[in-house]
Amino acid sequence: MSVNRFIWQGREISFRPGESIAAALEAAGIVRLGLDALGRETRYFCGIGACQSCLVRVDGTACEACLTPARSGMTVTPLEDRS
Amino acid sequence: MRSSIPQTAIVIGSGIVGAAIAYFLTRRGIRVQLLEASAPAAEATGAADGAVSVASKRPGPMMVAAIAGVALYRELEHEGLFAGLFKSRSTFIVATSDEECAVLEAHADALEQAGVRIERLTGGALFEVLPALSPSTRLAVQVHGEGHAIGYQIVHRLLTAAGIVVDRHTPVNALLRDANGRALGVETHKGQIKADVVVIAAGTGSATLLGLADILIPRKGQLLVTERAPRLNAAFAGSIMSGRYLMSKGNRKPGAPTPARGLGLVIDPLVTGQFLIGGTREDHGDRRTNDIGAVSQILADAVALVPQLVHVRLLRSFAGNRTAVLDGLPLIGRVPGLDNAFVATGFEGDGICLGPIVGRTVAELVCGEAPSIDLVPFDPARFKSGMVAA
Amino acid sequence: MSEPDIIIVGAGPGGLAAAIAASRTGLKVEVIEQRHAPGGAIYRQPVDGVEPVPQAAAAKRRWQSLSTRFAESGVPVRTHSVFLGIDGDGTFLIDDRDRGKLDRLQPRGVIIATGAVEKVYPRPGWHLAGVSTVGGLQVMMKETGRAPQGRILLAGGGPLLIAVAAQMARLGNPPVAIVEAGDPAKELAAGLQILISPGLFAEAFSYLRTVYRHGVPWLRGHRLVSIKREGQDLAAVIEDRKGSRRRILADRIGLHDGIRPNDFGMPPETTVNRAAPFVIHAGDCREALGAVAAEADGERAGRMMAGLLAHGRHEINELEELVARNRRSQAVLARIFAPVQSGSLLDGLTDETILCRCEGRTVGDLRQLCSRPDPLTGREIKHNGRFAMGACQGRFCAANTAALMARLRPDIPAPAPGDLIGRRWPARPVSIGTLVGVPPHAEGQDEVLR
Repeated sequence: MSVNRFIWQGREISFRPGESIAAALEAAGIVRLGLDALGRETRYFCGIGACQSCLVRVDGTACEACLTPARSGMTVTPLEDRS
Repeated sequence: MRSSIPQTAIVIGSGIVGAAIAYFLTRRGIRVQLLEASAPAAEATGAADGAVSVASKRPGPMMVAAIAGVALYRELEHEGLFAGLFKSRSTFIVATSDEECAVLEAHADALEQAGVRIERLTGGALFEVLPALSPSTRLAVQVHGEGHAIGYQIVHRLLTAAGIVVDRHTPVNALLRDANGRALGVETHKGQIKADVVVIAAGTGSATLLGLADILIPRKGQLLVTERAPRLNAAFAGSIMSGRYLMSKGNRKPGAPTPARGLGLVIDPLVTGQFLIGGTREDHGDRRTNDIGAVSQILADAVALVPQLVHVRLLRSFAGNRTAVLDGLPLIGRVPGLDNAFVATGFEGDGICLGPIVGRTVAELVCGEAPSIDLVPFDPARFKSGMVAA
Repeated sequence: MSEPDIIIVGAGPGGLAAAIAASRTGLKVEVIEQRHAPGGAIYRQPVDGVEPVPQAAAAKRRWQSLSTRFAESGVPVRTHSVFLGIDGDGTFLIDDRDRGKLDRLQPRGVIIATGAVEKVYPRPGWHLAGVSTVGGLQVMMKETGRAPQGRILLAGGGPLLIAVAAQMARLGNPPVAIVEAGDPAKELAAGLQILISPGLFAEAFSYLRTVYRHGVPWLRGHRLVSIKREGQDLAAVIEDRKGSRRRILADRIGLHDGIRPNDFGMPPETTVNRAAPFVIHAGDCREALGAVAAEADGERAGRMMAGLLAHGRHEINELEELVARNRRSQAVLARIFAPVQSGSLLDGLTDETILCRCEGRTVGDLRQLCSRPDPLTGREIKHNGRFAMGACQGRFCAANTAALMARLRPDIPAPAPGDLIGRRWPARPVSIGTLVGVPPHAEGQDEVLR
C-alpha cells in the first residue's frame, strides 16, 4: 500500500500526516462509521474524545476515530461488523 | 413457635436480603415498612458479581442453601417475577496446572455427590465448547443449571412487585424492646416506629444494632465491567471461573493464614454483551476504591484464561464491602433474647444467590412456619454472647 | 527522568497557564494531552502543512502569547496521553496511546484542566450519523483546514453558532442556516452591556459581518425540534416562536445548546494534606467561562498548587477579579442568547427520543421509572435505567437525565449529574491490553491469540 493510506472496508483512504482517522474518513465523504453493539449508527460527534460515538476498530481494538491518528497501512473497521 | 401471623413488620435494610424479606412478607398480607439508611442496593448488593451459583461451594450447609437458592431463581423466573433478570448459564471452572487439576477433580466429585449436574471437559471437546479459552487450559468442569442476576435489578423488581415505598435515608438508631423479651419497634431520627415484628437485614449496619462488631466483618471486593463485546461474549457458553478460586475459597490447608487480599477470578458474560470480571476479597481497609495493582492483576489473570480480552476495553471498576461473619456462615434466624426480632445478614459474596431463598425462609420463620431450608447452622444464637449487649 | 511534582491534565489555555505559573517556582511540571499538540479545543492546531482556519485577531494574539510563554517555560508535554484517573492508592494513571501502555506516576499535585464539553439537548433523531456538535464541526475545521462538505445546518443557541458559521463561510462553505433559540438582536439593552468586554464585541461583530455578507439565514427565536433521515438527507423540523414549523434539508447538522465543565468522572478537588496528591480544577472544567477566563484561572491554579506544595497553603490572589469579569461577560451573553420560547425542549419530547445514546435508553424509559410512587434516587435511576452507564460514562446524558428527572419529579430532591456518573476510574474506557502490558496494536500478537 502507498504511504499515507489506510484500509477502511476494503477501500484505501488517504490522509495527511498527523490527521485523525475521523478527519480522513470525513474527507473521503464517509459520515456513517458503521454500527455499534446495539445496532445504532456510529458517527463523528463531539470531536474531543468524550462522547464515544465515533468508535472504530484499529487492528481489532475499539478507539475514538476523532483522537486516533491515521497511520499508513493500518486496517480500520466499523465497531460491529454485521455483514 | 408463634402461631399467629403478625400484621405489621419493620424490615431494616433494602439490600437484596431485606428487599426479598419485605417482598415475601408483603405477599403474605403483612404490612411492611422498609427502612433504609441510604438507598436500595447501595451497599454490597450494588457491588456484587451476581453469581447465582453452586459451583464454588464446598459440601455443607452453604452448598445446600445455594442449591435451594438457584432453584428459587429458576422458579421465580418461571413465575414471571424475575422474567428477563435471570440469565441461565453454566459455570465452567477451569484448571491450568497439575495442582489446580487435582483440586478441581476433587471438587467435581463433591458437587456430583451433592446431586449437582456436572461434566468434565478436556482436549478437543473443551475447546469446542469454550473456543475463547487459552490453549493452556487443561480441564474444565461444567456446572449445569446455574445463572447470573444483577443485584440491584432484583431489588428493584422485588420492591416494584410488592409495591413498597422505601423509607430512604432513614437509619435506625436502636431497637425498642420491652422487659419481657419482645421487640416493640425501632428508633429513628424521624421518631419511634412500632411494629409486631422487626427484621434486621442491614449488612454491616446490623453489627451496631446487635452488638456484633467483632463478629461481622466488612470484606472488600473489587470488580470490573468491560464495554460491550458481543462477538467474544457469544463465544462464552457460560461464566469462566479460575480453578484457583477454589483454593482462595477455603480449600486451603486448615490453619494456614488467610492472605490479606485474595483473588478469585470469574469472567461472566452479561446479557448486554459486556463482561463482568472479578474479583478480590480484601480484609484490610474498607475504603471503597479501586487500585491499579488489583485491577491489573485481575485483568492479567483474565487475559491468561481468555487471551482475546486484550482487545476489549475496560469501562468501569467498582468496589464494595460485603458483610462477612467470623466463622464464614451467615446469620439467619431469631435474635437471641427477642421473641419477635429476626436477623439475616453476613452473606459475604453469596447474597445475590441466597437473597431470595433467605427472604422466603425468613418470612416462613416470621409466620411461625417450619423454614424450607435448614437454618440450624446459621442460628445467630451461636454468637449469643455478642447479642447480650444489644 | 525524575517524576514530576505536578501533572496538569489538558494542554488548553487553562492547563498551559497553570503549567507556566507552577513551573516558575522551580517545581517539576508536566502536561499530559490526548492529542498530538497543545492548544485544546479552542486553539486546536492544524496538522502539518495546513493553513490555520481564519479566526479573530484577538484570539490569534492570545494563542501566540500563551504558546510562546509556554515554550519558554520548558514544561514538557506528553501527547497522545489520556488521563485515566487517580486510583485508591493515589497513583496517577495515563493511557499512553502511542506506546499502547499504562504509565503510573506519583505526583504530589494534579491540576485538572480538561476544558468544557458542549451541552446538547436530546431531540428525536439527534443520535443519527451526520449529526454532530457544532464544536465538533469546528475542531475538525481547525484540524484539517477544510469546511465540512455539503449542506450544513447549525442549530441550538449561543455565540459559537455564529463563529462557526463565519469560519465555514471563509473556508468556502457557509451553512444553509443558523437556527438560534435566542434573539440577540432584540436584546438591545443587554447587547450594550457587552461593551464592557470590547474584545468579545469585536470578535462577535466580525463573525456577524461575515455571516451577513454570505447571506446565511440567521433564524432567531427558532428551535430545531427533530431530525429524521429521508433518503440521503437529514430533514430537520424547525419551529418558530409562534409554533409554526418548517423543514430544512441538510447533509450534516451541528447542534450546540451551550457548554458546561468537562469534569465528568474527574477526581474531586482536594487541598488538604493526605497521602494522595492534591487536586485542583482549573479553567472551563471548573467553571465554563471561555478561553480568557480559563487562562486566568489556570494561572491561579498553578500558583495555588505551587503554594500548597511549598508550604501547605495557598495565597488568595488577584486573578479572581479577571475571572469574575469574564463571569459577568458570560452572564450577559447568556441573557442575550436566552431562548425566546418559553418551556424547555425537554418537556415536549416523545417517549421514543433517545436520552442515553450509548445504551439506547429513551425518554420514555425515564418517564416510566419516575412514574412510580417509590421515589428513586439518581443512583437507582442509573442502575435500573442504565442511564450514564455506557461508554461515554454519562458525558452526554447525565445532565439531561438529571434535568428531566427534576421536571418529572419536582417532589423529590433532584439528583446532580455527578450522582449519575460517580467518580470511578477509568475516567475513559481503556484497552485491557494496555492495562496488562500487551499493547493492543503490537506486532505479532496474532500468535498470542491463536
